[in-house]
Amino acid sequence: MTTTVPPSDHETIDALLAGYALRSLGPDDATELDRLLTDHVPACGECRTTLDAFAAIAADLALDAPPVTPPETLLPRLHQQLEARSRWSLPRWEPTRVVAVAASVMIVAGLGGLALSRGAGVPAGATLSAADISQAQEFAAQPDATSVEMGPLTEVSAPGLGGFYVIGEGVAPPPPGSVYRLWAVQGDVARYLGDFVPSPSGVVALQVFVDPSAIDRVIVTIERAGSFPTSPGAPIWQAGAA
Amino acid sequence: MPPDDPDDLALHRRLVSGDRDAFDDLYRRYAPTAYGVAYRLVGQQLLAQDVVHDAFLALWRVPEAFDPTRGAFRTFFLSLVHHRAVDTIRREERLRARTERAANLEPLVDEDPADTVTERSYLGIRRTQVRSALDELSADQRRVLEMAYDEGKTQVRIARELGIPLGTVKTRTLAAMRKLRTLLEDDE
Repeated sequence: MTTTVPPSDHETIDALLAGYALRSLGPDDATELDRLLTDHVPACGECRTTLDAFAAIAADLALDAPPVTPPETLLPRLHQQLEARSRWSLPRWEPTRVVAVAASVMIVAGLGGLALSRGAGVPAGATLSAADISQAQEFAAQPDATSVEMGPLTEVSAPGLGGFYVIGEGVAPPPPGSVYRLWAVQGDVARYLGDFVPSPSGVVALQVFVDPSAIDRVIVTIERAGSFPTSPGAPIWQAGAA
Repeated sequence: MPPDDPDDLALHRRLVSGDRDAFDDLYRRYAPTAYGVAYRLVGQQLLAQDVVHDAFLALWRVPEAFDPTRGAFRTFFLSLVHHRAVDTIRREERLRARTERAANLEPLVDEDPADTVTERSYLGIRRTQVRSALDELSADQRRVLEMAYDEGKTQVRIARELGIPLGTVKTRTLAAMRKLRTLLEDDE
């Protein structure tokens, strides 16, 4: 039976994080850890540090195994795959193959009530301050700005911006253990942009450094937190590029 | 946060731009380690090849999944390999197509200690540190770690097989991870 761990019980949380890093939690503990990864860890610096440290330790355990040169056929086999399917040429809306990556993907930075995460098109430098959010809202109000509604979110672009904003208020949190995942789509090609969760007050503010004229539409899917963004699941929100 | 290898970061940057040579270079750096750990887990060469193949293909298709602000490239990639290997073990067990692994390890054709430039210069150093740190663990701690990491078993199953309470497995695991963290962060 799942027991709810209070956020102050870091000894128990650390034990769950250790098991999580080793991918060895039983189903009940995995459920509780999913909840903590959504409700507590993003806002707890101590837990984020512990999670990163345990993930690094678990990864380094691979080095204890004797290295073995793979068969010579493996690299040519990979080369054939690279030729056959260029990057981003992913199947459309096929069920996502979920492979956890020990939180290597999801990043959540709390900033004065704002929570956002970063991916390919949302690099480290994209952390938005309150002033940036105000600027995005001002952009949206300008005559030459283009705004496109996407569910509870709005894409905002303007000439010279070199990218676009995705902003929203009153956005419901994703299910426990899940994140919203942002993708740019052109034709049958889906490109992973980043993961995000709304702030506790429901605010989403992302700056995406991808030229909106180079893509057809933007979609949002719900994916398991920490899963590898192999291909998008069914979109819950989508809209043409702003 | 442990510092990343600057060569890894440079290769990853080139990979993001679609550089095939960078892919090959990363393959040469990481394939022996990836294949070694995949083989240790799944115990069959063909399955281990599939694990390594899928991990490198995923890296090529979505290189941006690695975020340098969150940790080292080796952490990202070796986690990816390990998770795919664990998934393979559990899938094979579900399909009952996998016999007792420890009793039926296929002999490797060309097992080698990867005496390569890469091993000597970077991963080899870290490998020595990791093995030294593991030697500092108690036998009980090391056993639960091996059953979890190398054998892909859940803590529930470990407790059942060892005949000890689940809480003891968790306690030993946490103690082992904390000790490794102390030892290995000191080595960075």
